[in-house]
Amino acid sequence: MMILLTGGAANGKSAFAESLCMQTDGPRFYLAAMRPYGAEGEAKIARHRRLRAGKGFTTIERYTDIASLRLPARGTVLLECIANLTANEMFDETGNMTDPGERVLAGVDALNAQCERLVVITNDVGSDGVGYPPETAAYIDAMGRINAALASRADTVYELVAGIPILLKGDSLL
Amino acid sequence: MVLILGGVGAGKKAYVRSLGFTDADMGDDISDGKPVLCDLETLVRRDPAQADARFDALLRKEFVLCCEVGSGVIPLERADRAYREAVGRLCVRLAEKAAAVVRVTAGIPTAIKGELPCR
Repeated sequence: MMILLTGGAANGKSAFAESLCMQTDGPRFYLAAMRPYGAEGEAKIARHRRLRAGKGFTTIERYTDIASLRLPARGTVLLECIANLTANEMFDETGNMTDPGERVLAGVDALNAQCERLVVITNDVGSDGVGYPPETAAYIDAMGRINAALASRADTVYELVAGIPILLKGDSLL
Repeated sequence: MVLILGGVGAGKKAYVRSLGFTDADMGDDISDGKPVLCDLETLVRRDPAQADARFDALLRKEFVLCCEVGSGVIPLERADRAYREAVGRLCVRLAEKAAAVVRVTAGIPTAIKGELPCR
């Protein structure tokens, strides 16, 4: 089954995702899509590692082309997160821009076919109502379309607000 | 303490007024002795350390109102990123302790934890 978690920054998505992964017997894979840029990125990754410590996750780092990934076993996968994966698929090192939608969705579909439970973390990036330069606006637009396509695929969708899971689609998993 | 969340202009104060509170009951200072603390996000922006240090005082308010600030693209400025991270984390902690959490969307209050306080 596929579970999608959305919400703004710092709302407890990771912690809730991990608790959903702990409902299963495993094996558990943590698929990290965030490129470790700079001290702040390292700190964020370190914080996530602390949260996951002792929970039996095998970490796989993969920043693009999730579709070609072959998991070593069937189990539970936590993909964190679509906002990073979308940016990685959308902009290359030289700043060239391509539509990331197909590649992101193909990656999620490929993962879903290889596991029993797929938990996908995404972000709401389009609700601050501020004007942005064209590249950023295109990213926000792509994220909106990808999130809608993911929600349509997912069996269960939650939005996290201040750590509280709000069920948007499917049956409660709590 | 009841935590009230919502976007800018979503109707958080109007909801508190509908419960019988007046503007005189609302302030933006933790120590002002008023039952309703508004604009927690501004307080975090002004003094992040104080908001954390006065966590217990926040719990003694009847209502704490805070804008949701985390639903945009990652800000370019480091301070802006730290700010929205701090607001989000503080709200997670407050929500854990709150008797109820109400989210106001387009003026409509929804209890996402506990019972919706009504007049």
